[in-house]
Amino acid sequence: MKASRPAPPTVAINWLMATLVLIALPHFLHLPAWLSIIFLAVMGWRLMNSLRGWPLPEHHLLLRAVHLSLAIIAVVLVIAQYGMTIARDAGVALLTVLLAFKLLETRDIRDYYLSCFLGFFLIATQFFFQQSMLIVLLMMVNVLLLTSCMISVNDASSSIRQRIKTSGVLLLQATPMMLLLFVLFPRVPGPLWGVANDYVEVADSMPSRMTLGGLPSLSQGQTGISEAMQVGRISDLVQSDAIAFRVRFADNKIPSNQILYWRGPVLWHTDGEQWQPLSTDTQSSQPEISFDEQHRIDYTVTMERHNQQWLFALDLPDSLPQGINAAMNSEGSLISSEVIRKRSQFNLSSVPHYQFNARHDPLLNYALELPDDQHPQARQLAQQLRTHYPEKTDYVQAVLNYFSEQPFYYTLSPPLLSGDVIDSFLFESRHGFCEHYAASFTVLMRAADIPARVVIGYQGGDVNSVDQILTVRQRDAHAWTEIWLAEQGWIRVDPTSAVASERILSGIRGLLPSERRMPRAFADSPELENLWQQLREHWEAVNNAWELWVVGYDPTRQLELLRKLGMKQPDWRSMAKWLTIGMLLIFITLAWLTLRHKTQRDSVAEAYLDFCRRLSKSGVSVNPAEGPMTLAQKAAQHLPEAAVDIQAITSDYLAVRYQQQPDKAAHFIEKVRRFKPGNHSR
Amino acid sequence: MAQGSIHAILDQLNHIILGKPRAVRLALSCLLARGHLLIEDVPGVGKTTLAHALASTLGLSFQRVQFTSDMLPADIIGVSVYDREQGVFSFHRGAIFCQLLLADEINRASPRTQSALLEAMEEQQVTVEGEAMPLKDPFFVIATQNPTHQIGTFPLPESQLDRFLMRIAIGYPDAQAEHDLLKGEDRRNLLQHQSSQLSVSELLNLQQQVNKLTASDQLIHYVQALLNYTRESGRFVSGLSPRAGLGLVRAAKAWACIDGRDFVLPEDVQSVLPSVVEHRLQLNDSSLQADWLSEMLQTVPIPR
Repeated sequence: MKASRPAPPTVAINWLMATLVLIALPHFLHLPAWLSIIFLAVMGWRLMNSLRGWPLPEHHLLLRAVHLSLAIIAVVLVIAQYGMTIARDAGVALLTVLLAFKLLETRDIRDYYLSCFLGFFLIATQFFFQQSMLIVLLMMVNVLLLTSCMISVNDASSSIRQRIKTSGVLLLQATPMMLLLFVLFPRVPGPLWGVANDYVEVADSMPSRMTLGGLPSLSQGQTGISEAMQVGRISDLVQSDAIAFRVRFADNKIPSNQILYWRGPVLWHTDGEQWQPLSTDTQSSQPEISFDEQHRIDYTVTMERHNQQWLFALDLPDSLPQGINAAMNSEGSLISSEVIRKRSQFNLSSVPHYQFNARHDPLLNYALELPDDQHPQARQLAQQLRTHYPEKTDYVQAVLNYFSEQPFYYTLSPPLLSGDVIDSFLFESRHGFCEHYAASFTVLMRAADIPARVVIGYQGGDVNSVDQILTVRQRDAHAWTEIWLAEQGWIRVDPTSAVASERILSGIRGLLPSERRMPRAFADSPELENLWQQLREHWEAVNNAWELWVVGYDPTRQLELLRKLGMKQPDWRSMAKWLTIGMLLIFITLAWLTLRHKTQRDSVAEAYLDFCRRLSKSGVSVNPAEGPMTLAQKAAQHLPEAAVDIQAITSDYLAVRYQQQPDKAAHFIEKVRRFKPGNHSR
Repeated sequence: MAQGSIHAILDQLNHIILGKPRAVRLALSCLLARGHLLIEDVPGVGKTTLAHALASTLGLSFQRVQFTSDMLPADIIGVSVYDREQGVFSFHRGAIFCQLLLADEINRASPRTQSALLEAMEEQQVTVEGEAMPLKDPFFVIATQNPTHQIGTFPLPESQLDRFLMRIAIGYPDAQAEHDLLKGEDRRNLLQHQSSQLSVSELLNLQQQVNKLTASDQLIHYVQALLNYTRESGRFVSGLSPRAGLGLVRAAKAWACIDGRDFVLPEDVQSVLPSVVEHRLQLNDSSLQADWLSEMLQTVPIPR
């Protein structure tokens, strides 16, 4: 009996099962259905064992085989679904399904704890998908329940209420530590939960997943697009479901995906790797734009805070936005007069077909710049093609054909490039996302004396079928090229579409958060409608604060907060210092709270244990389950010379512990101190 | 006073019941702790003699009822009989109106009769035609049952077993004791010549004294640890009830009192534990009839 570890009580297993189902529930939203079914089926098996005594795998060889083959099938299915790359979705899927199998073979306490810890891990993975306040609330409830599972396995007789209470107390005690770590732990740039997501190569032909989109480097903790682009230095693109902006089109007429190019900053200068916008003083007059009024598109944009001045407009806006103070620069991009620090809304109209500076552009010189002595191979290719295709339009088509006919691949985790990045991309790696294609295409244009520039922004978006609102997310970020041809002006050419036309045609079909609509009951009276409006605004304000200070707590915010708290020069050293001090303070407080009642009682126990140790050293076998009188008799027999001392010490101990004479404690401790059975022993 | 008289009582009992000092001492502590006693053993080992000896030594009025399957509650409690001369019903008291009742082979009676007795034991009173009648004080029941399940018996359910503070077995005497027994005087004769060592008021005093014995916090912690063990080890269908815990403390106090101490030691608890808890616990897996009692005593540490 003693050799095998005790099995966890059934009540604890049931409690853990309920908790794990609750933890896995939000994951079911983004896991494939078959996986959720396997998870629930395995849980059901275990439940039937608890309720009806169905046999478990350990009980029967055949069942063990079933268990093992089910687990193998599940793993194979996960691989079939996601491929061999261990990324977010595959990892979470694997963790979820194997956790269920682990619970099925949970035999002893150790297995039980392992399941609990895996459960905690599964809770944390929820952050990869969502960081909203409600989800975090749910996660906290899950943590509370999972902690109570660990309590239940140690105290099976406790009631559910007791367990949850204890668990709550434990977590409350841990809260100061959590807050301290959250505030002071040095932040890394970039979104906290930004991890490389699953990528799918074009060849895999999964259009809905393929268009995860290129994103100009998310750096310096900015959410959204930065004003520069660096090619080949990022091997894994950060994918974010964060919303960039929402668009409502007039009369709900949503244009087709191919024309949903959301124009942002324009990049001209390049040093071979990095692309940068023109400095503001080179900006000149308003561009000259002619267009056909018939195809005008009216829409309203609700932009999320992105801490920059860019306003993203459908290519190309024909007027200035209404509802916000902004101007159009000479490149056709809209710039707000203030940094967008809060959600902003504006009305706009755009024309998909236009002529932009068709006669002349004062900035054309910048659109022909190439760094000297770089990209020799690319220049050579351009020369070659140009001799074959003297017409500029033919040449452009030839370059696009080059991209589509040569083995180029669209991937979100391209290999790192070194040396001349454009040449090594064009002629060696040939795996890349929009940045690579836009940059190298632009280089090939300029090498053939065709003015070209890179535009970054977003492409596509998801339409909510309920309210017909188009949501553009960070993962929809994109980069493309514009070339200038005489009499036609700037023309958009998207080389990415030559490689992966699905990226442009179908966009992303992600999960759409259903819009919070007003319940019908509220719409009946104006007061209620007003109330609803207020509630909504409050909710959004709280949500904004959450987004700003919790999810968006990046190095900038951290430094800002620490300065406000009075730290003069916050750097990682001072953070580490204050972190250590804070943790010490918390530990000391907790230790003091726990230990302050215990001092007097323990000295007697200490002394008695000391007495037992000394007896044990002299050869008396001491069993903690033996009474003091029994021990004294045994010891006196074994050490007859010390019998008197042993009797005296024991009777003092009995007086303190069993006759309620605490005043003898000092006497007893003193006697034990002087007790030396070793002197008497043989 | 107490110590001397307890010694005299034990001496006299051991004089009659030869070679069974532990059973005798347990029976006496059960009585001093105001609990009822269940003796489970084969016929002829001296169950009745022990009950008789206790009654005469302690000066208690004694009744013996042999339980049978056709017995009715009225046979124990009593009946109302119409008195022609007076023209009223008068209640004729049953065997239960005594100080020490020997309920022989209690598992032969129907559950209805059993429960009538067991209720009386718990409440220390019987209700006849709506009128509550107190039983005598002290009131002490010694029930016997045969261990093997024979045809026509109604084993006591656990809830009723719980009413007995202790369950003991007497067992066969060892060779020397049996030799003395066979050679010596007839036990019945011997019993008749015994004088009582204690008056009823002295016995009640003694019982109160037992109740006042010191059971320190440390000891209560130990008892709680034992109770928790039965509740959490997962080896029993259900753990010990608080009533069992109370019984354990009371029995330990009586045991300590017989030892001449005015405080309780863990050893006292360990001595009475088997008799107090064994009949209240049911093993989950009855195939593991290992010596779980001594294992329990070996594993539950005593708080220092």
